[in-house]
Amino acid sequence: MARWTGPLVTGALVAVATCYLAIAYTPDLLMGAAVRRVAAGGFNRFTHAPLATAASRQIVRPSPDLAYSACPYDISRGSLLIYAAPVAAPYWSLSIFDSRTNAVFVRNGDEARGKPFAVAVTHSGRSVPPGYQRVEVSGDRGIALVRILVADRTGFPRLDATRRATVCEQR
Amino acid sequence: MRAWARYLVCGVAGVALGLGATAYVLRNAALGNNIVIGPWATGRTFGSAAADPYTRAVVALKGLLALPAQEARYYTAARDSAGAPLEGRCRYRITGAALPAAWWSLTAYDPDGYLVPNAAGRYSVAGAAFPDSGKAGWTILLAPTAPPPTETAAWLPSGGIARVELTLRTYLPSDGGSGNPGADILPKITREAC
Repeated sequence: MARWTGPLVTGALVAVATCYLAIAYTPDLLMGAAVRRVAAGGFNRFTHAPLATAASRQIVRPSPDLAYSACPYDISRGSLLIYAAPVAAPYWSLSIFDSRTNAVFVRNGDEARGKPFAVAVTHSGRSVPPGYQRVEVSGDRGIALVRILVADRTGFPRLDATRRATVCEQR
Repeated sequence: MRAWARYLVCGVAGVALGLGATAYVLRNAALGNNIVIGPWATGRTFGSAAADPYTRAVVALKGLLALPAQEARYYTAARDSAGAPLEGRCRYRITGAALPAAWWSLTAYDPDGYLVPNAAGRYSVAGAAFPDSGKAGWTILLAPTAPPPTETAAWLPSGGIARVELTLRTYLPSDGGSGNPGADILPKITREAC
């Protein structure tokens, strides 16, 4: 039995190390998978999803009260420029998530005071066009997400039309 | 068995055990297990660089793209106020007070984090469903079938599925996300019948 003591201790240490590494890298793996899933229509462009239903599978725990517009980005070849247009809703926001799932930027409608704003998602050392607020991220890929509160589902078609004024592009 | 083979067997078993333990722990974790208030669990570091690796992993699995605390607070419940698991076949009365936020809603999910299928196509109840956004108190019935017309509580379908989880979202919290409502403010979940 003594011949197994060393291997068993080693196995236990390997198990602990594996558990730690798996927990540490789970966010990167899941974020990468989410980016690929949302980017089925292409990177660096917004996809305006319909209101979530029981059939929705793009993200977990979607809010059925929010209209989501997602711009999956890949800034390996240039910065992502976002023009956010205000929406007539009780709540709306633009949030930018990096490859580690951090929300590196959030601005809501109250903070925007009903005015459009422009954001450049970029890496340090890159220049961005005048008028764009710099948002530096770690990693090349992530998701910019617009949430709009749809207080009344019958009013969704009007919101759906106006939210398309928000655009993202790589430059 | 040679020594190297024993180490190899135990090493491979260690990797399998580590991965299995990770999957088990994360799948059974509540979204927001840093702070427990009655049946509700929450955390203050969602979506933030300050989140520890475990919280970050749980959020990635169960609430990816969650907003940081100053923007929204998320409270999840998988059990009622008596500590029993929420079952889709049962009827629960959820009673709450004025919530300190600009807007709130309560949503039912299956354990994988997807909306609960139901014939009514209703997945959440928002504060706006109540007079003055529920500032004088509010009641929601989580149940598989619609309550009778005499029932004044709002209905949140549970779909009759085995296990249900609830997420209470409070957007633009009054305190900027720095604190949590007490157990007397967050909703009480009482099982009425099964």
